Amino acid sequence: MAVPAAPPDMACVSNGVFRPLFRSQTDLKEVPVKSFYLDVVPVTNEKFLEFVRANPRWQRAQVKRIFADEKYLLHWAGDLELGTNALPDQPVVWVSWFAAKAFAQWQGKRLPTLAEWELAAAASPTLADGTKDPAFQSDILRWYSTSSPGVLPVVGSGPTNFWGVRDLHGLVWEWVSDFNSATVTGDARGDTGLDRQLFCGAGAIGAKDVENFPAFMRYGFRSSLKAAYTVHNLGFRCAKDL
Amino acid sequence: MKLPLLILALSSATALATTNETAAVLPPCCRPLAAQTNYTDKSLFLLDSTWTSDTGRQVKLGVLRGKPQVIAMFFASCQFTCPLTVSDMQRIEAALPANLRTNTDFLLVSFDSDRDTPAALKAYRAKRELGNQSWTLLRGEPDDVRELAALLGVIYKKDANGDFAHSNVITLLNAEGEIVFQQPGLNLPTDEIISKLKTLSKP
Repeated sequence: MAVPAAPPDMACVSNGVFRPLFRSQTDLKEVPVKSFYLDVVPVTNEKFLEFVRANPRWQRAQVKRIFADEKYLLHWAGDLELGTNALPDQPVVWVSWFAAKAFAQWQGKRLPTLAEWELAAAASPTLADGTKDPAFQSDILRWYSTSSPGVLPVVGSGPTNFWGVRDLHGLVWEWVSDFNSATVTGDARGDTGLDRQLFCGAGAIGAKDVENFPAFMRYGFRSSLKAAYTVHNLGFRCAKDL
Repeated sequence: MKLPLLILALSSATALATTNETAAVLPPCCRPLAAQTNYTDKSLFLLDSTWTSDTGRQVKLGVLRGKPQVIAMFFASCQFTCPLTVSDMQRIEAALPANLRTNTDFLLVSFDSDRDTPAALKAYRAKRELGNQSWTLLRGEPDDVRELAALLGVIYKKDANGDFAHSNVITLLNAEGEIVFQQPGLNLPTDEIISKLKTLSKP
């Protein structure tokens, strides 16, 4: 199948399967993911500044509290000023899910789904499926076990993966459109600690692959998020249908 | 000379019919639209999404402004916890003092954009005997459902059968659409949410 050329600054991730880490008995073992475009790098402060210029309701002073907490764009010097703590080429952080979603819509894009993001992130520099590549996994683990550097690297500093995408690991955590779909309430767990009263259909949730610890960490992190939260190391990138 | 009088008589009759609760009562979402401006910073009514009620009416959530809302998300074909959640809401309704009951709305929003058509919601209303004067049933597009769930802190996922695994939470909004109380779980006592509703009804 001929794949049309990707839009500028996006790469095409070809169709594949996402194997959910946690699933119930009725969930598919393998979720088919259609080919999609993904931004090569996370959205930068500079791009986000363009967005808030064009959309004043997403400026720091004007954003509605329900859509972004009080730390929204905390690292910027002002409503329309990056300042010294936010370099233009650094990934934008301190952004809520709502803000990320609005940015994507403004660009005619959308946020990637969890399945899409995980599919893209499973690729090592040389393989589409890097999950069984111990060297790749340990590189990721090293990042997850290190606290965020005081100064974030600029986007594009990481290696290019199999699909031509960068910085899925090693720079910032990233929002996905369905971050609130992970039916785990805290740390990695089977069904033992799960309060069945709180979930429908979650009784049979179990982990597929306990060795994939980085994926565990991402699940734990996502399930701790709320849509208005902003975090110092949480940014996003956009996706688009083919 | 008689024509204007007749029109006057007709229009006052219509006004009567809409305020008289025993006549064909329309659900809360069909009330005339309150002003859609000056929502507070924390109001869910700021959401721009459009929803369809079981009566087929397209509405923004802001149409519900003016009365406290007891909200849960559900899907009509749910066999497990949703029926219990709806029962919990009905127990809340039944336990409310009469004056509070007429001033409290109940809202069910479906996860199931595919199967929960207005007709399916209407059938669900009939099956569960959800009174028109207080209960609104809505469906929306998947992205909008995801967004509302995010605001309510509801976690959900569609499974391979088209059913939904989801968290169970009943949320209380004040008349301005702000979350004032959330009750996760099932088969819970109603006293806490009722005492919250009592404080909301105080001027």
